[in-house]
Amino acid sequence: MRDHGGRHSVARRLHALSAILLAVVFMATGAPGAAWAESKADLASENALADDDAGFGLVDFTRYQTGNSRLVEGEDLGYRYPMPDNADAVIAVTAGGEAIAFVDEGACAAASFDAADAVDVDAFRALAEELDGRVAKGGETLADNPGRGWTVSTSSEAVFGPYRVRVGVEADGRRYISVVPAELYTDESPSSVAAVQGLDLSDALLWVDVARLVPAGEVVAAEQPAPLDAASGFFQSLDLRPFWVSLKTSAVALIITFVLGLLAAWRTMGTSSRLKGLLDSVFTIPMVLPPTVCGFLLLLVFGNATSVGRWLIDHGVSLVFTWEAAVIAAVVVSFPLMYRTALGAFESLDAAMLDAARTLGWGEGRIFVRLMMPLAWPSIAAGTVLAFARAMGEFGCTLFFAGNYAGVTQTIPIAIYFEWMSGNTDVALFWVVVVIAFSFLVVLFINLYTARSLRYRERGGSVRAARRGRAAGDGARAVSAADIDAEAGGDALRIDTEALRALVSETSAMARVSSARAGAPSNGGVDDARPSDWGSHDAGRDA
Amino acid sequence: MNTVSSRRAFVAGASALAVAALAGCSNGGAGSGSAAPAGSEGSAAVADDSIQLQVFAANSLEKAMPEVEALYTAQTGVTFADTQYKGSGDLVEQMRGGAPVDVLITASAGTMDDAEEADLVDTATRQDMFVNDLVIVRAVGSDVAIDAIEDVASVDGNIAIGEPGAVPAGKYANQALASVGLYSSDEGEGGEYDASIADKVVQADKVGTAAQYVSTGDCAVGFVYTSDVYRYDGIEVAYTCPAESHKPIVYPGAVATASENADAAADFLAFCMENEDALAIWAEYGFELA
Repeated sequence: MRDHGGRHSVARRLHALSAILLAVVFMATGAPGAAWAESKADLASENALADDDAGFGLVDFTRYQTGNSRLVEGEDLGYRYPMPDNADAVIAVTAGGEAIAFVDEGACAAASFDAADAVDVDAFRALAEELDGRVAKGGETLADNPGRGWTVSTSSEAVFGPYRVRVGVEADGRRYISVVPAELYTDESPSSVAAVQGLDLSDALLWVDVARLVPAGEVVAAEQPAPLDAASGFFQSLDLRPFWVSLKTSAVALIITFVLGLLAAWRTMGTSSRLKGLLDSVFTIPMVLPPTVCGFLLLLVFGNATSVGRWLIDHGVSLVFTWEAAVIAAVVVSFPLMYRTALGAFESLDAAMLDAARTLGWGEGRIFVRLMMPLAWPSIAAGTVLAFARAMGEFGCTLFFAGNYAGVTQTIPIAIYFEWMSGNTDVALFWVVVVIAFSFLVVLFINLYTARSLRYRERGGSVRAARRGRAAGDGARAVSAADIDAEAGGDALRIDTEALRALVSETSAMARVSSARAGAPSNGGVDDARPSDWGSHDAGRDA
Repeated sequence: MNTVSSRRAFVAGASALAVAALAGCSNGGAGSGSAAPAGSEGSAAVADDSIQLQVFAANSLEKAMPEVEALYTAQTGVTFADTQYKGSGDLVEQMRGGAPVDVLITASAGTMDDAEEADLVDTATRQDMFVNDLVIVRAVGSDVAIDAIEDVASVDGNIAIGEPGAVPAGKYANQALASVGLYSSDEGEGGEYDASIADKVVQADKVGTAAQYVSTGDCAVGFVYTSDVYRYDGIEVAYTCPAESHKPIVYPGAVATASENADAAADFLAFCMENEDALAIWAEYGFELA
């Protein structure tokens, strides 16, 4: 009954926090759907375009930057480019910059395209230039050179310089566009003739475009997606695994760091000063070292390159480039933060209070759990949040030791770097925004938590006032105030008050005078045990 | 007592969150796994009877290889773990470090030689897969004009070159520079840049990074492969380095000695080189078969 109010307020705050976290998660997840299939469909309409006035269009527009000289089932086609089964228009761009278009006669008739009509040829050229620009992937485009010579014909081969290009060459059930020497007898091998003539067949063409020529009505209009659709398409095609990997890695790392950090701080605190100095350096050094050094050392210890690593691998400890490695990397870099904050908090505890507990017959373990932890909790909590944030942000050590495997070890920071490097600036930017939002939440949480422990201190003061009130007969109010006090302050406060009640009551008259003068009492529970100090503070403040 | 219970509530809440997050993890992983083109799901998600290959490929294959892998998955059901696209030297170092690998494709004979010497790949399976050209690129629309390799010395702005130890493209670039006396070592490694360009050279950790530096305008020109021009927006060829200015650019591929699916890995390499649909993909991205 006594602690209900306290538990509820904690629960409320937790609910609020989890609501914020879940909101972020859902925001980030979006609505998972058949993203890839859709993006494929988009692609299909991207390389199709119609000219309604001319009455025809091009679909399935594809550009081949290079070909190859490999034999097709033993048959020498010279230098060949692939030609899809249904393609009936081919544009070959010669090294001299000329564009030679080959259009199938049947397709011309079906699409009412006349290769001899200048208007139709111009329309064809405009379509090809636009589509070529879309699929050029950064290479030179047809539109780059407005003065480019164009020929459009319904034949299936053309000769330019020492070369002859043939389209629709069939071999082994497929069709090819093949480049052969211009002077070639039927039974001669193109490659050997080219070698004799000193021709490099691969130099003949810069690139080749293939497409299907269809009536304008058959072209599915390439709809420009609305900005909103484009955005939702972006979010649906986004690979969100880095978020989950980050969260999973840092959560597991945090649990390990939390336990190890507290234990290390606790054990270090009790040791002799020389040993303590050594332990302290060892535990803190990952914070000072560049993360890449940690990663390199971990790789040496666990990797295949050293005898230690090989021994471990032989005994079944194969960790490098696995998810476990990412966790270890995160633990190593976040551990010092947890350890330092916990150590600092433990060391600032009143040693006399710990000794008092010992005189009461408490074991060290009990003192740690029931006395040190509650008293140091605000600092420990802040350290935990910092350690979590550090684990989330870990980059160098993880990259070294765990690599960059999407869905396994690719955390958000690593994803940002590699997405940018791969030219996916928008994806990198998305993750940057997620990280900023997340960091903001972390800072907000620290601030809320600090505010909460400040409120506790204020309430601690009001409890003192209330207790004094109880002496004057206001019992009910004292009980409820004590609840809040106990919820936030805990055992330590009770030890204070119980062990030192006599002292407090002796000096209560003086304290009441001081607190009345200071307006609102603001000192913490520990100071409660030292009324004389408190008095002198007040005196200083007045002066 | 009261403190303990409030802390318990906190811890319980926190662990509930953690559990929820972890549960969400597996969902998220599976959900987005289907969205990944290469079918690169975590190893845990793979059914027992299917084979999963781990490919280490030169950074320049980053855009083309996923399509070939998707094609292979569609035809054979063999899936791929997240393929690593890094500088070839990095890939070999990562293998040395103990990373599990089935197929290695590097961008130079030299890096594959290193892997062979370290007994990381099966020599019998080694084959030259692609050839490429070394080009000097500039940002699209830039007025930088280059008519010979030595013209880079007079360019106003930085020069992006791959770090020669880990990036074969950087080594080829240095060989090309050495051919006109702007680099001190004909091997393309371990030398010094001529004073006229020394303070303008920016080293990149991957050939893609060099391309990206030019694309973002951080560098005026960069040495990359022809195929890189097709996979990065915003860059264009300013000059193609003559083939005799550097060692031949070949991409060797081989099956890793540590591979547990060596046969499947060899099948995949053969598919890359022989399947006409795969060849069409290489052609689209400008990789010429050796």
